[in-house]
Amino acid sequence: MIRSVLIFNQLGKPRLIKFYEPLDAATQQGLLREIHSLVAKRSDSLCNFLEGCQSIGGSDSRIIYRHYATLYFVFVVDSSESELGILDLIQVFVEALDRVFRNVCELDLIFHFDEVHYVLSEVVSAGLVVETNLKDISKAVGDKKEMAKPAQEQSRLGLGVLRRGFA
Amino acid sequence: MFEKSLSDLIQGLRASKRNESQYIQTSLEEIQNEVQMSDMQYKSAAIDKLNYLHMLGYDMNWANFNIVEVMASSRFNEKRAGYLAATQSFHQETDVLMLTTNLIRKDLASSNVMEVSVALDGLAQIVTPEQATDLFEDVLAILGHSRPYIRKKALVCLYRLVLRYPEGLHAFVPQLKDALDDPDPSVVSSAVSVICELARINPHNYMPLAPKLYHLLNSSTNNWMRIKIVKLFASLTPIEPRLAKKLHGPLSQLIKATSAMSLLYECIHTAVVGDVISVPIPVTDNIGREIDFAELCAQNLVRFYESKDHNLCYVGLVTLAHLQAKRPDLVVDQYDTIIGCLEYPDLSIRMRALEVIAGMTTRRTLTMTVKRLMSQLILSNTVSLQPNNKLDKDRHATNSNDDDASFSLDTSGTSLVSAHGNIVLPQRMRKADVDPADSPEYRAAIVDSILDMCSRQSYSNMTNFEWYIATLVDLVYIAGVDVGQKLSDKLLDVTVRVRQVREYSVKMMRRLLSDKSIVEYITPESPNAKVLCTAAYILGEYCALLPAISGDIGLLLPASLTRLNGEQQAMFIQAATKVYTNWLCDVSGYWNNEVWELVRSVTSSTMSTLSALISSCADVEAKEATTTTETDSVTMHALLAAMPLQVSARLRQFFEITKAVSVATSNPSDCAPRICLELHSLFTTYELNPVSAAAQSKVPVPEGLDLDQPIGNPIPDRSRIVMPPSPKPQPRPRRHSSSHRDGKDGKLREDRKNGPFYLGGAEGSNARSLIDLPDVDDIPVVALDLSEERSAKTDKKNKKSKPRRSGKSAKSDKSRKSRMCSPSPPPISVDIAGDEDMPGAVADDKQQLPDVAATQKA
Repeated sequence: MIRSVLIFNQLGKPRLIKFYEPLDAATQQGLLREIHSLVAKRSDSLCNFLEGCQSIGGSDSRIIYRHYATLYFVFVVDSSESELGILDLIQVFVEALDRVFRNVCELDLIFHFDEVHYVLSEVVSAGLVVETNLKDISKAVGDKKEMAKPAQEQSRLGLGVLRRGFA
Repeated sequence: MFEKSLSDLIQGLRASKRNESQYIQTSLEEIQNEVQMSDMQYKSAAIDKLNYLHMLGYDMNWANFNIVEVMASSRFNEKRAGYLAATQSFHQETDVLMLTTNLIRKDLASSNVMEVSVALDGLAQIVTPEQATDLFEDVLAILGHSRPYIRKKALVCLYRLVLRYPEGLHAFVPQLKDALDDPDPSVVSSAVSVICELARINPHNYMPLAPKLYHLLNSSTNNWMRIKIVKLFASLTPIEPRLAKKLHGPLSQLIKATSAMSLLYECIHTAVVGDVISVPIPVTDNIGREIDFAELCAQNLVRFYESKDHNLCYVGLVTLAHLQAKRPDLVVDQYDTIIGCLEYPDLSIRMRALEVIAGMTTRRTLTMTVKRLMSQLILSNTVSLQPNNKLDKDRHATNSNDDDASFSLDTSGTSLVSAHGNIVLPQRMRKADVDPADSPEYRAAIVDSILDMCSRQSYSNMTNFEWYIATLVDLVYIAGVDVGQKLSDKLLDVTVRVRQVREYSVKMMRRLLSDKSIVEYITPESPNAKVLCTAAYILGEYCALLPAISGDIGLLLPASLTRLNGEQQAMFIQAATKVYTNWLCDVSGYWNNEVWELVRSVTSSTMSTLSALISSCADVEAKEATTTTETDSVTMHALLAAMPLQVSARLRQFFEITKAVSVATSNPSDCAPRICLELHSLFTTYELNPVSAAAQSKVPVPEGLDLDQPIGNPIPDRSRIVMPPSPKPQPRPRRHSSSHRDGKDGKLREDRKNGPFYLGGAEGSNARSLIDLPDVDDIPVVALDLSEERSAKTDKKNKKSKPRRSGKSAKSDKSRKSRMCSPSPPPISVDIAGDEDMPGAVADDKQQLPDVAATQKA
């Protein structure tokens, strides 16, 4: 299964933290720092797999990541997942984000961190992959967005300050 | 009251980089107020902000109750935000979780598809055993939902529920099986994912699903799912070997047909790991030839590890290692490619390549490979002359500029070091260059790999043992990581087993021990200490193979010896005794006045070295009490008594020997005193051969012998006696006890407890004085019949003088035979001694692993 999905930038600033096994905030931050320190020093010519992250899952776990512009997309998985398969999955996830945000960039992820979570939940649920079809993913995300809209319209009428709450 | 939206918070955070924590603190206070408000919009927005801060590392557990409130909101966007916050914040012990059960049940039953989906996702993440029990039926009912989107999420959710509520498995598995027939491919794919996870826990239960999965593998076009199925089969084939035959067809088809590298890789991997490659059905390759399935895999695998893409290269090597274990013949001709992989900048790839390399080395390529690996150790940044030595590292840190040795690097010879006895440092490279060869784990892996390929199958790859010894010594200098134990094990192993190389080995050990740069900086923990102890043992045990040099005695009693721990000191002192007696025996062969003088001077200098050693080893307090009479023998005994038992016993033995020699040679004589000639035979009467680690256990316990029964009465603990009772009635030295001394005493006692001769006693009996001891005359003495003993000894000697190949094992015979078959280089005539059993051992056909630990103890 997938143990964790992390997105952070080159400086280690988190853009998304998702752990499918409950961990307290301090441990999560520790892991984030550890994984960032491991991943950020690797040049793009190195392979995208790292073995045995000590703090999460021990020797069974592997870190699989992809580097896009300023961001690292990191999946921590156990041995039941295929390394190359997960690399493809990260690509699918990023393409899904790209569809949702139309030319996704780091700023989109910063200001819509909840939306990133919602996109991820259409791809991975509770550590298992539920959908790999790009069309189905973006349709599900779109449907839910639609559903959330009326409430947002309402708030816009009542309170201008919430305008930027949901894109 | 309402201060900022989520966007405002994020913008504010970005604007106030300088005092971020202060900004967050004020925001948190605002949020604390906002979550208390009755308006759900504010509450929900506050939870959203809090969730964002949680990502930055700020705890949000305090707002758990408010999260539940937001989850209960009737608006979808708020509900969703609430569930998201819950999945991020809740854990198994969260107390408000019990409040959510009914809430989730209501959402699961909602007519709104999206709400059901959000509830399923949320429940899957936060589920507790109680919730799993309560909600299992509800979720199971959702499996019949009309929308595939909900069905697939329900499957995943149920998987998490049965993890907490295993009783639900009986109801779930049939449904899971039905889900494999679902018309929607996403549902089928999710079902496969769930089966894969469940089968990891208990594969037997999911064997009945194999035919269906097999069918899916053939019919589906979803690569993600096919990868999952192929991986699942890899874990099922060990349980059901017949599956391998079944998989042969579809796997070979997929390997030939698929364009997706990830699927191709998993197919090959499963074929290799699941042992499908050994199914004896030929396949046709792309040019129509009939080949072995294993060959097909090997051919396709080349595309991975020869690829420019490092990811493909890495996974290719992983599978190649598996393939090598099953079909080494298919891997051997890839030598050049794999060696090339050692130059990749990627550590993971190098490590994998190392694994494969060790297995594919042959007699022909061994030297070349080892040289290549050693050059990687040398050319990295971190090599230092005493890399294994902590103390020395500190020295390096303080004056690293002073000792930038600029030797020339000789890579042309067989050995990198031994030609000069010194290894060479390249100029330190710039810090910015991160060389994977600097990584300690990689260096350790290189050393492991070298040792493995050299000693594999009783040294079947080895053509030149002197080169091997030199390589091991080189590694001592250049390893740069803690491999001391491994190196000393190998040194001892090859020296003991291969008789022909012993002389050279002793020479190299002597060189190692005379290297001040190593010897002066040893500490008990440093890896070099282990190597040096072994070197001392080898020099002592086999010193007779070389012309005796009196300087060896000094080598084995260096001033830095006091820094080692008791066990290590004992090894050095014992070796020094052997070397000394051997030298005595040697010079007695041409006895004259000059030799007499030499013996006198060496003996007296050895004695003074020993007494210096004793006084520097011994307790500080004891030393203070005896500053006046250094050489007084009474004081000597007092000092010795304060040392660890294994050290003091050997020091005392050596000291008594030198004393006896100095007495015997007090006057010049025409011929050598007998003691000089005979002493060395104390150590050479029996030859030590490698003993199997299990040898002792094969000797049956004689009838009537109870090993747990103590022999005789416990001996009183004399270890506490520091001073003999002095003539003047003096108060006990213990009166001066300071915390420092107590600490030292405690440590000493601990040391002794670990000693081989420690006989435990009550704490109270510690401070016994000499007077309490039984009178010497009371000790019963049994008369020994010496004549009988002597005849037994000569028997043994006669037996030994016959030429014999000691304990040549069946295994090494076999490996010799296989060496004969290999075309080149020619087999060498070297005996590699196998392990011996003890006399009287019960016959046991099982070949024991080589272990020479037993000889080291001697």
